[in-house]
Amino acid sequence: MSSELAGMPTELLLPEIIMLVGLVALIIVPNLGDARFRIPLTSFRVPVLLGGSRFGIARDPRLPNWITIGTLLASLAAAQMGLLSPSDWSGEVGNALVVDEFSILLSNIFISVLFLCAIAATHRIPADPGAEAPTEDDDEESGARKTDALFDNRRQVDFHILLLTTGLGMSLMAKSTHLFMLFVCMELASLSSYVLVGFHKESVEGGEAGTKYFVVGSVASAIGIYGMSLLYLWNGDLSVSGLSDSWRSMDGLDPLATAGVGMMLVAFGFKVGAAPFHLAIPDAYSGASSIVAGMLATASKAMGFVALFKVMIIVSMPESGESFWFVAMAAISLITMTWGNLAALSSDNPKRVLAYSSVAHAGYMLAAVAAIGSGLAGPEAKALIVTAVLFHLSVLVVFKLGAFLVLSSLETEGGSHRMQGLNGLARRDPILAGSMFVFMLSLAGVPPFSGFLSKLLMINGIVTVSAGTGGASSIVSWATSVEPVFWLAVAVVLNSALSLFYYLRMGLVMFFEEPEGEGDLICNTPLRAFIIALSALSLAFGIGPGSEFLVDIAHGAAEALLP
Amino acid sequence: MAKSGNEYRLLMPLIPALLVVPALAIAEFDSVDAAFLIVLAPLVAFPIILISGQLKNGEKAWKEGLKEGGTLALSALLVSLTTALWIIVDYLRGAREISEEVGERVATTWGDWISFDVLLSDYTMSSERVIGVGVWVDSVTLMLLFVATFLCFLICWFSLGYMNTDPINENRNHRFYAEFVLFAMGMFGMVLADNFLWLFIFWEIMGLCSYLLIGFYFWKESAAYAAKKAFLTTRVGDVFLMIGLLILYDIYGSLEFSVIFEDPSLNGSVDTDKLFWALLMLFVGAVGKSAQFPLHVWLPDAMEGPTPVSALIHAATMVNAGLYLVARMVPFVDVGHHGVAGLEDLGLIVAYIGGITAFMAASIAFVQNDIKKVLAYSTMSQLAYIFTGLGVSLWFYNHGNADAAALVFGGSMFHLFNHAMAKGMLFMASGSVIHEVHHAHDHLHHGSEHGHHDFDPQDMRNMGGLASKMPVTSAAMMIGSMSIIGIPLIGGFWSKEAIVAKTWKASLDYEPLMLGPAVLVLLTAGMTGFYMSRMWFMTFAGEPKSEVVDHVHEETPWIKEPLVILSVISALGGFGLSVLGVVKWLAKPYKDDIGIQKESVFDQVIYELEHAFLPEDPNLRIVGWTTIFLSLVVGPIIAARVHGGSLRAGQSSNPMVSWLVWISGRFGSQDMSEMADSSLSEALRHRLYFDHYYEKALGMTAIPLASFAAWFDRNVIDGIVKQVESSSVLGSVQIRRATTGRARDYIMMTAVGMISIFALAWGVSG
Repeated sequence: MSSELAGMPTELLLPEIIMLVGLVALIIVPNLGDARFRIPLTSFRVPVLLGGSRFGIARDPRLPNWITIGTLLASLAAAQMGLLSPSDWSGEVGNALVVDEFSILLSNIFISVLFLCAIAATHRIPADPGAEAPTEDDDEESGARKTDALFDNRRQVDFHILLLTTGLGMSLMAKSTHLFMLFVCMELASLSSYVLVGFHKESVEGGEAGTKYFVVGSVASAIGIYGMSLLYLWNGDLSVSGLSDSWRSMDGLDPLATAGVGMMLVAFGFKVGAAPFHLAIPDAYSGASSIVAGMLATASKAMGFVALFKVMIIVSMPESGESFWFVAMAAISLITMTWGNLAALSSDNPKRVLAYSSVAHAGYMLAAVAAIGSGLAGPEAKALIVTAVLFHLSVLVVFKLGAFLVLSSLETEGGSHRMQGLNGLARRDPILAGSMFVFMLSLAGVPPFSGFLSKLLMINGIVTVSAGTGGASSIVSWATSVEPVFWLAVAVVLNSALSLFYYLRMGLVMFFEEPEGEGDLICNTPLRAFIIALSALSLAFGIGPGSEFLVDIAHGAAEALLP
Repeated sequence: MAKSGNEYRLLMPLIPALLVVPALAIAEFDSVDAAFLIVLAPLVAFPIILISGQLKNGEKAWKEGLKEGGTLALSALLVSLTTALWIIVDYLRGAREISEEVGERVATTWGDWISFDVLLSDYTMSSERVIGVGVWVDSVTLMLLFVATFLCFLICWFSLGYMNTDPINENRNHRFYAEFVLFAMGMFGMVLADNFLWLFIFWEIMGLCSYLLIGFYFWKESAAYAAKKAFLTTRVGDVFLMIGLLILYDIYGSLEFSVIFEDPSLNGSVDTDKLFWALLMLFVGAVGKSAQFPLHVWLPDAMEGPTPVSALIHAATMVNAGLYLVARMVPFVDVGHHGVAGLEDLGLIVAYIGGITAFMAASIAFVQNDIKKVLAYSTMSQLAYIFTGLGVSLWFYNHGNADAAALVFGGSMFHLFNHAMAKGMLFMASGSVIHEVHHAHDHLHHGSEHGHHDFDPQDMRNMGGLASKMPVTSAAMMIGSMSIIGIPLIGGFWSKEAIVAKTWKASLDYEPLMLGPAVLVLLTAGMTGFYMSRMWFMTFAGEPKSEVVDHVHEETPWIKEPLVILSVISALGGFGLSVLGVVKWLAKPYKDDIGIQKESVFDQVIYELEHAFLPEDPNLRIVGWTTIFLSLVVGPIIAARVHGGSLRAGQSSNPMVSWLVWISGRFGSQDMSEMADSSLSEALRHRLYFDHYYEKALGMTAIPLASFAAWFDRNVIDGIVKQVESSSVLGSVQIRRATTGRARDYIMMTAVGMISIFALAWGVSG
């Protein structure tokens, strides 16, 4: 094994290697103790370090969180280096992985999401080194509280190991050029996230949500794997470039190939939350803790789009003309965005609202993907659209995750399941409420926030594709003759208008309702600082040099992805 | 209230502000490039004061250490003031050193703000620079810049005493200071703007701040009404201004001064009628902003705002914006420098509006008993003087008589300076009076509600004899009034003389129609003498008219310093600056070849005196002495007969004013109650019924339209939105039924989805 590794530029995988090291450390370090092994027949005792009574530092329940934050920070730094000088950090690693601007950007998205989750976890799943077992003196309530604290201490390692495996899977997945590798990495991340969804198994919703998400997810994965096997049957090779070549040289449409791609669309559709595969998503988001829900809405969705890009845009696009999945994709995107926005309107659970909003956003991005599938897009227009989607995925980290982080601070007092929990937040904590409002505006796509720019880029991409079509002699004749892709852009605009109702409702209850709870909101300083930073970033990425910087990166990534 | 002298240690935050300009100078910045600081400093201070005020309200350090943001505002304004002074000094030095053709105007452009890609008829794009960001500096800019920065600073200083010691403002002062600096930013920006669009933007910012500050006591119905009235009335003017700017843009394809003023006649091809209408529209905007007939109705009501606001916005700075705009019209009409001939009517209109307003406002001021309202009408009247002067100047420029035009232009601008200094100070002095009377009243009836509502601390009928109680204020008010009246040798005399004389010159030698404004301004000179003297005598001379007066003490900190500084400037500034030739300097941008400097200062003084009192033209000699006679003798003596009188026995006053009190008692007294009951007097008290008829007209036109718009908005537009919303919610409830919560349904849907994908893929492609 090691001989094969020699000569490969493994340093390109530095972020993943750091995560792997952190993972191992996370398993070993909390178990370090003074255990000794007596060599048989002698009285020598060799310290083996694992087990026995644990060292003081290893016993500290906050340790896993520290290790994870440190690991992810180092990994993020490594990934950032790639962002700053992509040419030094690009290249192929083995036959299944490639590091280029695209995978670097995605790695950055994934790792920063998980880093923020780890920061938020210090607040959501607090580790208390002073926790004690309940005694006789405790009444029922304080006893339960003490038990909870102990319980939280015990499961620190589990949570953080799962975070790191998710990150590892996602980050490698973005780099894979082989569908098999891609699928394995995706499953690594997915299985970890299933467990994370059901992590709060003591609550009924948590356990149920995790199970449901797992069951539906497995079905989707199974369909995907079946589709992949069909592709293998057709081509005998699952590398992306090989499949792409064969697709282009294919005569007509091979049933095996199309069925395979169609089935994979189901699997990835589930990941991105496309209708009608999204049904488990609202349940999962509202059952999971807000941190995990935020992770699912940003990183997991980005992962789904990476897979969609690779299979739909790279593999199954014909040399010219419309791809066979265009109509299906357009229909899915229409249904998805409308369903998401409509369902969010009457929901009274902020997490569900955000879940449906996440579905709607997936719809917008799928509309952009569908515009590529229309076959009208030249290389430049394609790059434009992919840039828009990548930009959207990047800024989602800022405002979608930001919104979930605000909810996670409400969650500790039990107020994230009902809209009333947000009541009067502005009076209790003006800074968090202000940030939340910024996130809502950004999600709704109000200028000058980054959500506006990303939506604008996507609509611009779609309209560019359909530009010049349609005769302009009268409105009616124009409307009937314009390319159908154009109506996707119209749908995005109409849906955005609809979505304002529920985004602004959140703002409304925060600012104009009387607060339910008394006193200030409890939220620890680092989390608060990051929420404020995220709200500043949602502005910075929406206007001025910050937005240009990010659009440039996304554009570079888009060009690296497209052949 | 009476704090110890170490209140002034609060000025510590000003030290870094003082160091900004030296630091930039050492870093070899160009003073003109540093001009952005003038606007930037208050702009940065605005959110800081507002936000920290919201956060820190009620805390001791914020309240007493930072004066609820007052010292922060003062620091920002100090940065602006020092930068402005730096530019002025540099400019004056450069004007002497740099060759003549460069030295007069400094325009610095920093970059594009708006540029359009214009599609040409041959389908190529041409990038056209439309609006840049930069500054335009000439002597008019510098004069206004000095007036604005200097008075903003002093009035902010005054506010530290006036606002922060009034319990009604407790915990609200950060709003005042934030709006104050935002206003200052607007004024500075408007003065520095190098194109009409920026000028308009800053103009509107000022309008907004004026609205906010007039309505500072918004819970008082009258204040809220006054704020709305001021905003809407000036808005009428602004609409016309905007139309004017659009026409200008249509003519020149740009709004930049440097482009338009290069050759306003477009080589003689410009459409004169179009330009006339554009300039007339701009003038209507100016009329609104400077409260001239017929858009003058808002200014007296604007006195509902705190007194520093009246001093700053409604006397010293914002109302000058209209004058500034008219002054910027000179290049259009200056036929000697690419101006467009045939625009004499414009000058005539401006002069007539000025003359009418001057006379009308002065006559209304006769019957006002509210000390601030007298000053408000006086402001209108004096601004009208300047408009008359500018109108005459525009007429002369267009007629080709550049010498006379430059002199009256310089004189008008100089009157603007004198008036701003004197009126800013008069308002602050009236503020001092009001504040102390109010305080004395509170002290007298401490705590009890008795008499609180029927006592008006601004009513001069509650005052009298205050000269013995308020030595500094009474002296300051005397000097300010003298400057406004135009007592020979003091302040406004030097500039008013030029306006009156040149208006008469125009009417006698050239244009008979100018006789109207000429007669009106001459009459107004005497009337000014009456109403300003009346105000002073009613307030400071004679026996006290209410018991409150005995308890007045002049002891609020921060109030006296600005009064003293401005008194000196008002008293001596007019004479000093005219000796230095400021009139010609101000006119210079448009006229380079005048400016004969005498050999020595003494010769110059003699020349100026000769020029003022014994002009060569016999007509002007008559007019000049008539003016002096009316304003010095007729007006004040009548006022003294009616309202003057000695102080109560045993009371003494400041030697600076005691002579005046003594004189006022020598003319006997005259009962004017019969005249006060006359119907003319009644009409004047009702401000000549302008407000009444405006309201009636609005009731017939705007209000039905507004009601219809409101109905349409409520029922049609909101109805549609609500319909969309309610039907969406219905759909939402239906669609959410699909989310059953059962995993097998979800898997079922997944299967349905997959089959649909296949169906669609094959159905369409296969």
